[in-house]
Amino acid sequence: MMLTTLIRRELLDNLMTFRFAAAVFIMLLLVVANTVVLIKDYDRRLASYNVAVKSNQEQLLGRRTYSISSWDVVRPPNLLSIFNAGLDKRLSNEIFVFYGFVPTWWDGQVHGSTNPLLNLFSSIDIVFIFEVVLSLMSLIFAYDALAGERERGTLRLVLTHPVSRAKILLAKYVSAMLCLLVPLLISLLLVVILLTTSTIVSLKVDDFLRIGGIVLSSIAYLSVFYLIGMLISAVIRRTGTALMLAMFVWGFWVLVYPNVILVAVNLAQPSQERLASAFNQIEQIWEEFDRERKDFLANDPIPGEDPHFGMEGGSGFHEIWYKEKSTLLYTYIAGSYINKLDDEFEPQVPHVQNYYRFMVPRNIDAAERTWLVRKQALESVFIRPAIVDRIFLRFSPVGMYDAATQAWAGTDLFGLRDFYEATRKYRRTVIDYLYDKNAFGDRRWFSADKGAVDWDGSPQFSFQRSGVHINAMRALPDLLLLLMMNVILFLVIYLIFQRSEV
Amino acid sequence: MIWHIIKRELYDNLNSLRFTLATALLFVLMLINAVIHVQEHPERMQKYHDATTKSLNTLRSRTDLFSIAQEGPGNLYKKPSSLYFCEEGGDIFLPDYAYGIPRVQIANNLRAFWSLYYPGAFPNVFNIRPDTVKVDWGFVIGYVLSLIAILFTFDSISSERERGTLRLVLSNSVPRHTVLIGKFLGALVSISIPFTLAILMNLLVISMSRDINLGADVWIRLCIIFIIAILYLCLFIALGLLVSSSVQNSVASLVILLLTWCVFVVFVPSTLASIASGFSNPMTYDEYFKRRNQNIKNLKEEYVALLQETRGLPNKKIQLDSEYVTKGTEQEERLSQEQLNQQIAQIQLARSVTRISPVTLIQHLLEVFVGTGFERHQQFLENVHRYARQYREFVTDMDRADPDSLHIIGVRDGMSKKPISPESIPAFEDTLSLSRDFNAAAINLLLLVLFFVVLSFAAYLVFVRIEV
Repeated sequence: MMLTTLIRRELLDNLMTFRFAAAVFIMLLLVVANTVVLIKDYDRRLASYNVAVKSNQEQLLGRRTYSISSWDVVRPPNLLSIFNAGLDKRLSNEIFVFYGFVPTWWDGQVHGSTNPLLNLFSSIDIVFIFEVVLSLMSLIFAYDALAGERERGTLRLVLTHPVSRAKILLAKYVSAMLCLLVPLLISLLLVVILLTTSTIVSLKVDDFLRIGGIVLSSIAYLSVFYLIGMLISAVIRRTGTALMLAMFVWGFWVLVYPNVILVAVNLAQPSQERLASAFNQIEQIWEEFDRERKDFLANDPIPGEDPHFGMEGGSGFHEIWYKEKSTLLYTYIAGSYINKLDDEFEPQVPHVQNYYRFMVPRNIDAAERTWLVRKQALESVFIRPAIVDRIFLRFSPVGMYDAATQAWAGTDLFGLRDFYEATRKYRRTVIDYLYDKNAFGDRRWFSADKGAVDWDGSPQFSFQRSGVHINAMRALPDLLLLLMMNVILFLVIYLIFQRSEV
Repeated sequence: MIWHIIKRELYDNLNSLRFTLATALLFVLMLINAVIHVQEHPERMQKYHDATTKSLNTLRSRTDLFSIAQEGPGNLYKKPSSLYFCEEGGDIFLPDYAYGIPRVQIANNLRAFWSLYYPGAFPNVFNIRPDTVKVDWGFVIGYVLSLIAILFTFDSISSERERGTLRLVLSNSVPRHTVLIGKFLGALVSISIPFTLAILMNLLVISMSRDINLGADVWIRLCIIFIIAILYLCLFIALGLLVSSSVQNSVASLVILLLTWCVFVVFVPSTLASIASGFSNPMTYDEYFKRRNQNIKNLKEEYVALLQETRGLPNKKIQLDSEYVTKGTEQEERLSQEQLNQQIAQIQLARSVTRISPVTLIQHLLEVFVGTGFERHQQFLENVHRYARQYREFVTDMDRADPDSLHIIGVRDGMSKKPISPESIPAFEDTLSLSRDFNAAAINLLLLVLFFVVLSFAAYLVFVRIEV
């Protein structure tokens, strides 16, 4: 009973203040303006995605032989990147899928970019607005929660009533949180309204659940900063000093720490030796492949090691070695698209078929073995530092919040990795399809003179985002960290407040 | 009397918690900045040096005029600024080179000459590390210093009013503007002290490094940057005083100031930029390649059609080849220039719109004097264009100087066959000039001064009218 009275008092106190009105107004303004911009941007990315998908399909249908078939896939933009862009707009979004190499996110390219110079301007998302404004508002609400009452002497007055200190704390906390939730929830509501009224976007149940997760993380984040402010307020007796300290804590954690800590971590450069040794290993795999290939050519009835089988002159045979040391890309592409075969070459056709029947499976095999080496090396050279960075970022509540919302939105490292995993799976289906069609030993592997390949039944790429439960699993560690921080802070405040003299 | 007020403010501030915290923050940031620069700068210079040497060596390995005219100068690199630690200016998002190599094949044995092409920089395509803002002077001044200015001034008048000491001060025969100026200078001096010391420490660490030499003109630039930073600081102090004297209590004043700060410093630069860049639609890369392929196809067809007529007339064929080489080169260069111009126009619009944010102003100003960022990139492109002209003139001059040549540029047989001495080929040198920089900075500087004057005048008006 007493608790509700206290809460009501606090609520009225807070809701009628100028700072509250100002906070709500600014929040809504920023959120609406940015949501409109972000939806427009999403629209543009979606359109360019659709164009790319269509042109890739047409490109495949236009290919006349198996060996030059192209299976490029495109990454769809993530709708929830409006909340937290994460890596969604950054990494490559078009990737070349081909039996001879296993795709990773270092092998893709960017489609749909109109102006690379636009990266000069940092882009912001809804979570960023919350990160900055909500934390600031929480601190401004909290800094005088205890110190102010103590200075004015009202705290002593309240404590003369038979009410426990824990209840006072709880009442203050609950009422302030209720107030702070108003701008948060209204702005989220506005975002969702803008999203649902926009014609291009269709939100599914899963998306609503993910947005719910983002809301939950936002509340936990808000609460952490409120409790930090309250802690300062409990420790420091003068409101002026408490306010100063709160502002510097905010400046440090929101503005300075995330930028400074990564620089400090950055000083450890990726190990070039690791890359070099992995590259050597990979090189050996391909040299072995090349040897086998050449042996086969040397021993077949056609003289010489010529992979063109003497059919040169407009025949379209090509072979390319791709090597990129910095990302450990190494592959061999060979094929042809003969449209018309001279009769004199006809006797060689079975030999060519034999060669490809022998070579392509070995090419695939070399690619698989390369992947085993490459995966580990890339993991230790690129992914591990990126994960270490994120661990260091988590020493600030901003980092935890950012990580949690990214996980919910599916724009984090793992969400993006899902896509590349899907491309690898797609590559397997493509290979299975080629095996099913017995494509390697087929005449149409290299020549369309007796008819082009019919692409009916060729596998289609589709990327299903991970289910909500996986998002939740990924977000859980950070969410738990935030909640734990809440509990610890509350306990500390309680202990300090219990012992402090009024 | 004014000295008295300043002194009092100074004592007040120097003893406060905020002074200690601000000093600590500034020193830590500036130290980190210096250490990083000392580590990274030599590498950056080495990389530039290696790249230019390599590109120059390839250029000088050619001895005959035709291949010089056809192959072109190769990669042209942007010289990194030695003041990189002051303002990084988004340089990683700007390509650090342009290139000139031949790319168009007109017929089997006929290629167009080189033309300029401007690659895009996509540093984030492979980068999976989290985004950060670089801790440079621009960050320290633009974000941290402005926040400190707000935290020093939000209560300078409102709290005196709350405590009633303002009435006490004004009961002496002090004109109000003196009080305001005293407050202003007091805050200015007490923030400038740690800021200046932090900057000096930063420069000390950097100049102690053996690998980095700061020349005389660099120090002039640094002085200008310092003055601009102080002007920027004044702007925020004036803002603080304005809000502090127009609002009754200090908390309300702080809330207004912080929200204003958030909006103008954190959000306006990116939000307005995204809105403004939505107004124009530069050529996409798909469109560019489509048009380019179409152009090349047309060119090839025209050439093949005209080639029939020259059968058996070698002189005419040379003329035709030369004509199409020139045509192909020009059309290639025109298209990439068109794309670049559209991109630049989009960025320029966005940049001018975001100038209502003081932090953008200070960043643009720093970029200009440091020699990084977009303004500098355009200078680089101008240098590249000038060089391209010079390079082409060199070819025609050399050809003209040779009496044995047919003076038909574009075909091997039509051009001078005299060997060219490698030293006489012009080399690309990217330069920066200070007087040009002043012109580029003038408007931004004026805007900054204007903001400051308006804010301090408003603060004066409000303060004169308040009832104590």
